[in-house]
Amino acid sequence: MSQSPTDGFNPNDPIGTWRTIRDANLDAWAKGMAALVNTEVFANAIGLQLDTLLAASAPIRQAVNQYMETYLSQINMPSRAEVINLASRLTNIEMRLDDMQVQLDELLQAVHGLAVVASANGAVSPEEAAAGEAEGAAKPRRTRKPATES
Amino acid sequence: MTTQSPPTLDVEQLTHNLYAEMERLGKSTDTLTKLATNRLNVQIGLTPKEVIWTLNKMKLYHFYPQTPPEQRKPVPLLLVFALINRPDIFDLRPGNSFVEYMVRQGYEVYMLDWGRPGPEDAGYDFEDFSLKFLPRAVRAMQRHSGTREFSMCGWCIGATITVIYAAMRPDDGLRNLVLLTAPLDFGNKEAGPFNKWLNTPYYNVDELVRQFGNVPGEIIDYGNKMLKPVENWVLNYLKLWDNLDNPAVVESWLAMNNWVTDGVNFPGAAFRQWIVEFFRENRLMEGTLQMEGRTVDLRNVKASVLNVIADRDHIVPTCQSVTAMDKFGSRDKLLLEMKGGHIGLMVGSGASKRTWPQIEAWLAKRSQ
Repeated sequence: MSQSPTDGFNPNDPIGTWRTIRDANLDAWAKGMAALVNTEVFANAIGLQLDTLLAASAPIRQAVNQYMETYLSQINMPSRAEVINLASRLTNIEMRLDDMQVQLDELLQAVHGLAVVASANGAVSPEEAAAGEAEGAAKPRRTRKPATES
Repeated sequence: MTTQSPPTLDVEQLTHNLYAEMERLGKSTDTLTKLATNRLNVQIGLTPKEVIWTLNKMKLYHFYPQTPPEQRKPVPLLLVFALINRPDIFDLRPGNSFVEYMVRQGYEVYMLDWGRPGPEDAGYDFEDFSLKFLPRAVRAMQRHSGTREFSMCGWCIGATITVIYAAMRPDDGLRNLVLLTAPLDFGNKEAGPFNKWLNTPYYNVDELVRQFGNVPGEIIDYGNKMLKPVENWVLNYLKLWDNLDNPAVVESWLAMNNWVTDGVNFPGAAFRQWIVEFFRENRLMEGTLQMEGRTVDLRNVKASVLNVIADRDHIVPTCQSVTAMDKFGSRDKLLLEMKGGHIGLMVGSGASKRTWPQIEAWLAKRSQ
């Protein structure tokens, strides 16, 4: 092991020396801060800070909300809560549509399968089988890019 | 121990060093000007993809295959990221993208984007994300890929969501579950600053959610950065300053900065549940977490599990993931400890050399 009495200091590279000192100081600062934020005292302080902020902003927020609600009602406009309620209902409708689309696709596939089987058994006329094929063709187009394009 | 003599002043060397520094400053000024005038724009998430399903603000992406059909793996892979930040971290930059890597290995890769929740989404909790939205995305993926069996990879809170799904829907075709830095066990109240901050009686989560509806992404970002304040608010920018003359480092810094600063709001009900039922009451591990009127029992997880943890993860300490391994009902499970931090685990040269190949090798054996 070798050690220089001027570890980190090189008179020919003052900028490099400054960087070394800077990094060492910042490293120590970073470790100190990381230890500080991991203490109960800090946790309580940051919690208290947030709690105070929330307590201070609550009456202002409430007043603004009440004012806006009254104002929007006066000018015959829906309130924020009403728009939010409508948007939530739209999401529910969208979810039901998604389920219905899947069920419809499964139904069409089943009908298509039955038509093919019936056609193979000669139980239906070619025209009826073709109608079944056409229904099968109504299945939503897959959007996957063909392998040749990849 | 030997003692070396101090270096003596060499005017030629000193001049050379100062000249090099001046040259560096000259190059840096150019980059700095571009940065200051917003002329350095680095885009992320560039691997070619298509949207195959949408619901509310959610989107399911399918990445175009880049290998011949005969080389493709038959079991598709679904990526699920956390409710905070964007999932683009899976696909950061060309050459530094997990998605790109897996697509080139022959996987059909799908990625679920939760979107940016609006005020109307404040009521959604983990039950909604795990058991209403995720199963529908899975169904869309199964229909698109034409296969019932699939692999899923969840990262951070995304891993928690996928674990709940795996426990509650064990027969829906999930074959392999890859967990990345998964926060699951909050029993150790001394593990990491988050545990201390969120368990203090002063932290009034109900009032926070009541006032904001969704918890703003800026608050989440502030909390994450506060874990290592000097690194995030000083050293991070110093790293950029020191490397302004290196375009590769600047580009990579900007890409990561774009992702970090693009936070999304945490849906209020999910946030409250996260703090109260997960962090404070540790219900998932205690076996008291109720969803759809049933208990979320980790013994119901039947898929093969790869649990990847990062040794220097300051956001999700390793103890929050490790102990869950004993609870999973899977016969095939592996804990993989990698070098790195919460994000560094999957991004950067270390990730492409170590983490991705190991995940891919594990999945490849189970994707035939």
